Amino acid sequence: MWWLIPVIGLALGIYSGQFLHIEIPAEMVKYLSIAIMAALDSVFGGIRSLYEKKFDGLMMMTGFFTNALLAAALAYIGDMLGVDLYYAAVFAFGVRLFSNLSMIRHYIISGLREKDRLYRLARQEKKAAAKPDLIKGEGDL
Amino acid sequence: MTAPLRNMLAFFCAMAVLGLSLSVQFKAQNSPDRELYQQRQENLIVMVKNLTEKRQRLGQEMSDLSSQLYDRRNAFEDESLTIKSLEQQLARLEIANGTRPITGQGLEIQFQATSAVQYTDLIVLINELWAAGAEAIAVGGYRLNANSYIFYSDSPEGRLISVNNSPVPLPLRVQAIGNAGSLERGLTLPGGFMDIMMYNKIYPTLRQKESLDLPAVTSPPLYYYLSAYTAPAPAAAATGQAKNATR
Repeated sequence: MWWLIPVIGLALGIYSGQFLHIEIPAEMVKYLSIAIMAALDSVFGGIRSLYEKKFDGLMMMTGFFTNALLAAALAYIGDMLGVDLYYAAVFAFGVRLFSNLSMIRHYIISGLREKDRLYRLARQEKKAAAKPDLIKGEGDL
Repeated sequence: MTAPLRNMLAFFCAMAVLGLSLSVQFKAQNSPDRELYQQRQENLIVMVKNLTEKRQRLGQEMSDLSSQLYDRRNAFEDESLTIKSLEQQLARLEIANGTRPITGQGLEIQFQATSAVQYTDLIVLINELWAAGAEAIAVGGYRLNANSYIFYSDSPEGRLISVNNSPVPLPLRVQAIGNAGSLERGLTLPGGFMDIMMYNKIYPTLRQKESLDLPAVTSPPLYYYLSAYTAPAPAAAATGQAKNATR
């Protein structure tokens, strides 16, 4: 049930956003969107590393904020230069996001299968332990 | 703090910040001010073109409406002038018809209470006053118009002069608006009205006045048989002449 903690955090963040009345200039909305994409990429990367048993909180937090800020800064500089770096960032983070999602899906399904296999094995052993006479009977014949 | 707890705390903070950003972004995205910033350049060019065309159309419409307003204002002023002219004409007709009180310089003729003036004398006086250029006449406070008549009526006091069937007792005052000098000269001609009165031992007094106030006719007449005359058409007139010639 560890997954409840991040979900509660997300719900709290959304709830705060509704009531805090934080307003950003209209021209900054585009940069915030790319920052959110970078943040999502960090979050899914963190979830994936949890399943791989390699999770590092400090790595995730620093990656979260630096990726978001760098992505927004890159999009802003691209607009100043007249180069659509915004789309490059969207593409890059989009690819990483779906890659992490597919790995997470793989780990979840693998985990479920492993659980199922262990469960069936345990059942068979239990059945075998419950009927030892049948095995002795084969030797007499 | 254990490592798993630290990890979960980090995750919690990251998700909270992500939730906050998502909420802010969602609100900003759906605000009406954002629409233009979201548009592509091509769409903005088309929008500018459409707005320019709309502005030109509205400018043209405004110009048409301005010229209509100008025409209507002129027509209204013309109507005002027409109305004014009609009002002036109405005032003149009312003065001529006696249905409007008037004031002006003129002559006042006073008959004493003991004078033996008859209604026929008054008719002559009024005739002389019209001939001398009077524009309006009142007898005993009754304004005269085209339908007025002067006669006599018998009463317990004796024979009284009546104007429009209303008795006017002596002393009697006749007022006439016009050129006072002309009116007086018209009455005092040799062998004129004043000479006739003196011959009959009646001595009316004449006074020129700077301002005389004459009332309106008390009951304007009603016309039942009068109708406007229209001349016959020329073709019908010519046919009529030809028929007469053949006879």
